[in-house]
Amino acid sequence: MDQFIQQFLTGLSIGSILLLVAIGLSIIYGAMGIINLAHGEFVMLGAYTAWFLQVQFGMGLLISLVPIFLLVAAFGWLIERFVLSFLDNRPLDTILATWGVGIMLQQAVRLTAGGELRYVKMPEVLSNSTDIFGVQISLYRIFLLVVSLVLFAATWLLMNRTTVGMKLRAVIQDRPVAASFGVNARRIYGLTFAYGAGLAGLAGALVSPLKSVSPEMGTGYVIDAFMVVVLGGVQSLVGTVASAFILGELSGVIAFLQNDTVAKAIVLLAIVVLIRFRPQGMFATRVRA
Amino acid sequence: MQSKSVDPFFRRRPSAELVAILVVCAVVIVVPVLLNNDYLLNKVARYLVLGMLAMSLSLSWGYAGILNLGQAMSFGLGSYAMAMTLKLKTVPVHTGPQGLPDFMVWNNVTQLPWFWWPFQSQAFAIVAGIAIPAAVAAALGWFMFRGRVTGVYVAIITLAAMVVLNLLIVDQQQYTGGFNGITDLAQLELFGIAFDAYGRSTYYLVAICMTAALLGAYAFTRTKAGLIIQAIRDHESRVRYFGYDVGAYQIAAFAFSAAIAGLAGMLYTIVMEFASPTFLGVQLSLSVVVWCAVGGRQSLLGALLGAILVAGVQGALSESAAFLETWTLVMGALFVLIVLFLPKGLAGLVSSLWALIQQRSFRPLRGVQGIGQTESGA
Amino acid sequence: MNPYLQLSNVTVSFNGFLALNDLSLEVCKGELRCLIGPNGAGKTTALDLICGKIKQTAGSIAFDGAVLDGLEEHRIARAGIGRKFQVPSVFRDLTVGDNLRVACAHHPGVFSNLRPGHRQADDEAVERLAELVGLTDQLKKPAAFLSHGQTQWLEIGMLVAQNAALILMDEPTAGMTAQETRKTADLFLRLKGRHTLIVVEHDMGFVKAIGDVISVMHLGRLLAEGPASAIEANPAVRKAYLGSGGITNA
Repeated sequence: MDQFIQQFLTGLSIGSILLLVAIGLSIIYGAMGIINLAHGEFVMLGAYTAWFLQVQFGMGLLISLVPIFLLVAAFGWLIERFVLSFLDNRPLDTILATWGVGIMLQQAVRLTAGGELRYVKMPEVLSNSTDIFGVQISLYRIFLLVVSLVLFAATWLLMNRTTVGMKLRAVIQDRPVAASFGVNARRIYGLTFAYGAGLAGLAGALVSPLKSVSPEMGTGYVIDAFMVVVLGGVQSLVGTVASAFILGELSGVIAFLQNDTVAKAIVLLAIVVLIRFRPQGMFATRVRA
Repeated sequence: MQSKSVDPFFRRRPSAELVAILVVCAVVIVVPVLLNNDYLLNKVARYLVLGMLAMSLSLSWGYAGILNLGQAMSFGLGSYAMAMTLKLKTVPVHTGPQGLPDFMVWNNVTQLPWFWWPFQSQAFAIVAGIAIPAAVAAALGWFMFRGRVTGVYVAIITLAAMVVLNLLIVDQQQYTGGFNGITDLAQLELFGIAFDAYGRSTYYLVAICMTAALLGAYAFTRTKAGLIIQAIRDHESRVRYFGYDVGAYQIAAFAFSAAIAGLAGMLYTIVMEFASPTFLGVQLSLSVVVWCAVGGRQSLLGALLGAILVAGVQGALSESAAFLETWTLVMGALFVLIVLFLPKGLAGLVSSLWALIQQRSFRPLRGVQGIGQTESGA
Repeated sequence: MNPYLQLSNVTVSFNGFLALNDLSLEVCKGELRCLIGPNGAGKTTALDLICGKIKQTAGSIAFDGAVLDGLEEHRIARAGIGRKFQVPSVFRDLTVGDNLRVACAHHPGVFSNLRPGHRQADDEAVERLAELVGLTDQLKKPAAFLSHGQTQWLEIGMLVAQNAALILMDEPTAGMTAQETRKTADLFLRLKGRHTLIVVEHDMGFVKAIGDVISVMHLGRLLAEGPASAIEANPAVRKAYLGSGGITNA
């Protein structure tokens, strides 16, 4: 029983990290149809910013969260404005362009901050463990779970209960019509991409105390995040949450039974099969006639 | 006697592209005469092989519209096929009862696995190096294209498939050499010639294969099937209403592209003297995409030269670590700019200039008699 | 007369909305049938159905005795059905000549198209067709450079190249001048007989000039059918579509 709870909690933890990284990607992909291969680098940027603020200004992780969000979001806005805006009708090329941007970001970081591993300190207040149903779990991981759910809720509210969210949904549905009603699609896209990037930055900062920070850390996250988004269904936030936790549990279990490598391979294969037979994902909110 | 106009459109004159291809192949074959350094010759051979790989992607991506982000999978399969047979040929390997490769012995494997058995025949390996990538591609293609998977999803699936294979190879290290790959190979021997990686024989082998692959791919693009493939790239669904089985054409192009990549993979093992999971890796696969984009995805020759150019510069700069890092940054920026503003790559630039020159020098009545030609204004 | 093309009680539903509602239609061999009706009547949907672009929710389609239900688009095309689309669909990156060449689809299999070089028959066909549609001077131009009218003509030329027994034309004269429309009418009259045509159109003058029988659709079903004079006189048609002026005033 103990083992089952341990398994379950581990899966939740993995799932919450997946969710943190995937929400931003889900917004960007769902809203704009853009496959953002630079998403992992946004995560990496968030982590590095956390490290930098800590090392240079002695700022704790929790305090840095807001500036990190704003910084990475600003970055995302710039990229949308100066790269993606040229690729409105070329979806395949956005993959390439964002991948190129990702490479540039990685290299830029490597050249400025160096390629060695960096470390971000966990906030003092959360560095203990606690007892849940007889199993030890780190407070920080609980914190991550809470934050991921809060961010999801905030994003959902943003999308469905604000004017900006409504405009975005209008643009997604029918851009020319939305434009004819005065919605500035370009500005909406810019804000959306920035928001998605900012979330990724937050995710990077939040996971940084758990593992080390390196220029390549983003690549693993972008692949995982993609799997979550494809599984959960494009344009479905709820789907993203569900699939993040399903995948989290699944990879935890498989890794436990087999090994990490096989786990990854199996999940990838499952995604491939899913794309082929149900490209709209598990929770598609719209099925085109 | 034809009373109609002899429209130059139909006259079978060699196209500019074919001439360019022949010139490049001639230059490639002449290189060893000018270059007497074995080490450099090996390097050039290496770039030629990578050029072949990029050219194979341009067939799939530029002509058929299939962005294969896992092109390295076919390349890697070919390279492993060659590595396996060359490994089994090495004499000091016989430390086990059935001539087991050393890494298997180190991993306590007692019997040669079933899938290694046929590679004891060099002939089998050579055929397998082309046939297996083609078969795997055909299977993957059947899976995707029969299901009408298109565009971005094809890119994702091909990438995922390659990553899965990569993971499996690294994981099953007792059978595949794992992370380190398959090293310490014997030399390939064909028709009494031993192919030393640093010798002229290897260079000429690569040059001949490259020429054959290039001309084969070119011929394919000039057939009606090649034309239909391009129509599919342009407007996939429309092609169906003319009666063509689009999936079949896509599978054919995809498999042909994989076959060429497999051949390139085999040559790479000979040139590099080992096979490694990085040959099936994301890094290489994405590099191929960059080379193709820079050179011109819709041009076989452009992709080939683009790869040689970029890989060549990268190789030259790799002497200094600092240079290499900055180069990667510059390359990333260049790639983004090309994707944004020069989607047809450098080859596109060249053909635009060529068209401009042709317009300037076009004389309406040259070599043409007939109805309606005099009024053509380009 | 045995129906060449037969739609029997066909229904197409998009999430509850009935684009076609129990439609039954019969066309005889060699006919030139015009399909008219107000927007939203289901004319394009009917064509989509016949060529296989969409599948029916109920009902059956038969062509030349063979049932088409559930066949893939290319099989339907090989059975002898060709389709010209409402928005001119040509291959914009290919030259005009290459477009026509692709349309010569008598040997659609992969292997039969792998022989190097051009077929003699294809070359001659392309030359003839280019002359027919007035695009001889544009053979080497990418199709993207053509004007709207020229693109329409190219697609019509491609349909002729395809040499389908049943040709479905969706608003072929949209965007054409009066002269071009007359030329199109001449061409269709020449095609009739050897080919069977179904033409969806809004231009009543054109319809009157070419149509033997006119089928009027409304709200997904057949409202009326007959020669132009009968249609004009039909009060239900007038009410649904023509207004009080009749065809002659359109």
